Amino acid sequence: MRDVFIIGAGMTVFGKHPDRSLRNLGYEASLNALKDAGVRPSEIQAGYCGCALAPMLQGETGVGANAFWEVGIKGIPIVTMENACSSGSTALREGWMAIAGGHYDTVIVAGIEKAVMPKGTPLNVGAVELEQRLGEIFPGTFALIAKKHMEIYGTTTEQLAKVSVKNHKNGTFNPYAQFRKAVTIEEVLQSPMIADPLTLLMCCPNSDGAAAVVLSCGERAKKAKSRIKIVGSSLTSGMYENLRDFTSWEMERRAVNQAYEMASLGPEDLNVVEVHDAFAISEILHYESLGLCPIGEGGRLIDEGITELGGKVPVNPSGGLMSRGHPVGASGVAQVVELVWQLRGEAGERQVPNARMALAQIMGGNKEADTRTCNVHIFMKE
Amino acid sequence: MGDLKNKVVITPTYPTVGQEFIKWVVVEPGLFKYPLGEGEKPALLGGRCTKCGKIFFPKRSLCPDCFDDSFAEGTIESIALDSRGIIYASTVARVPSPVGIKHPYAYGYVDIPTNKIRVFALFTGAEPESFISGQEVELVLEPVAVNKQGQQVITYKFRPILERRY
Repeated sequence: MRDVFIIGAGMTVFGKHPDRSLRNLGYEASLNALKDAGVRPSEIQAGYCGCALAPMLQGETGVGANAFWEVGIKGIPIVTMENACSSGSTALREGWMAIAGGHYDTVIVAGIEKAVMPKGTPLNVGAVELEQRLGEIFPGTFALIAKKHMEIYGTTTEQLAKVSVKNHKNGTFNPYAQFRKAVTIEEVLQSPMIADPLTLLMCCPNSDGAAAVVLSCGERAKKAKSRIKIVGSSLTSGMYENLRDFTSWEMERRAVNQAYEMASLGPEDLNVVEVHDAFAISEILHYESLGLCPIGEGGRLIDEGITELGGKVPVNPSGGLMSRGHPVGASGVAQVVELVWQLRGEAGERQVPNARMALAQIMGGNKEADTRTCNVHIFMKE
Repeated sequence: MGDLKNKVVITPTYPTVGQEFIKWVVVEPGLFKYPLGEGEKPALLGGRCTKCGKIFFPKRSLCPDCFDDSFAEGTIESIALDSRGIIYASTVARVPSPVGIKHPYAYGYVDIPTNKIRVFALFTGAEPESFISGQEVELVLEPVAVNKQGQQVITYKFRPILERRY
């Protein structure tokens, strides 16, 4: 396998973009990434785009081809891929595999989504799973996980609130974030209950936005102004064990361990992390799956401030999904854009000093009380 | 005081066989038998692998373990699941349901020890907040919503039981 590097990164501001099309958002992110990489459109040999909901919400297919053409990318293999919240990170992995496997030297990867819904409308993620047709709602699934984690490990609603407080605070430092307003524990706990024990401020918003990176290898990568090496990449799906323990995702631990093994490192080596904090409880579980703390002690980790900016392993310095926003198919790429900036030392007020090793984790798609897909990527500053 | 005269009170009507004017539909075909005959108790319909005995709800086409093991499809036979279970986890949804269930409503997962299986379940028969893990519950069939055609949608739910069995 050949070494693969991220040589350019860019994104749009995340938030509400009612007047902009998917391709226009994709255009801006792709253009930013190309300019950042110093790569001309004609140098791109393949394009991979993550987009989960456009066929359903906008009735649009081929989002990748539409967006990449806006920046003059044409004639090459382009695919748009859906893998729930991991759509963008799956596109990244496809790009990485294509270069690592020797098929192409330089590719573009984008994540593009418009998921903002009319006020008071739940996000339409389709109702193809039996549970959804029977009455399950997305936050409810995570509420059950939270209830179980609280019951077994004594995790508290205050600890859940602290995750939201941390990520909202980080978001105030991120000009690309949807929410740039700090919140207090009391505000989080007193915000409307969505599904017990999760309140509104413990849930990520629906968002519009796009993010993109340019990948390359060999001599072309050496010519770039900066190179961030992809040292680990994994993608798993669920085992759908009927009697599985709700308080930890086996499929996530498997993805994490595969990525650590590929990168020949462990949790103690990480300087900065982005995780899929769709709900406050999710981030607690991700701490445990990543091995940042033993299983069951995620609540303690947030109490001790270890994952705050200034802590030992800052998690979600970008503000995470909760504050940066969650344009479903774009989030996986936005995490990577953030980590590229962190590893380059370009993250401004939210910079983690001397960050050299970074990890991105994202997962999605409820199925049979398990999760369909999980991606983990590890990045190293060259 | 409001104008009570103009308020329409809708009383849930339980469908009765043989009466054409009652319209209903099951939430999903094959999950449970409906309507029930005289003296018949409600039951969820699952599948059991005749080779390894593993039980699935709903019934599926092949047993993933046995098919992988021997490339033999074996047979999944239909079975009725035990109507009693224990709540594994519960929550209260306080936002509008995309499938038209009036909120707040309680739901979660119920373990059925007899069949070594966990099923998704709406809860009924008590305050939504009152359902807790470890609580014993039993199956009932109830209307859950009214669809666009004006039909009552019949689903399965679990309600508290007083008499202990486990």
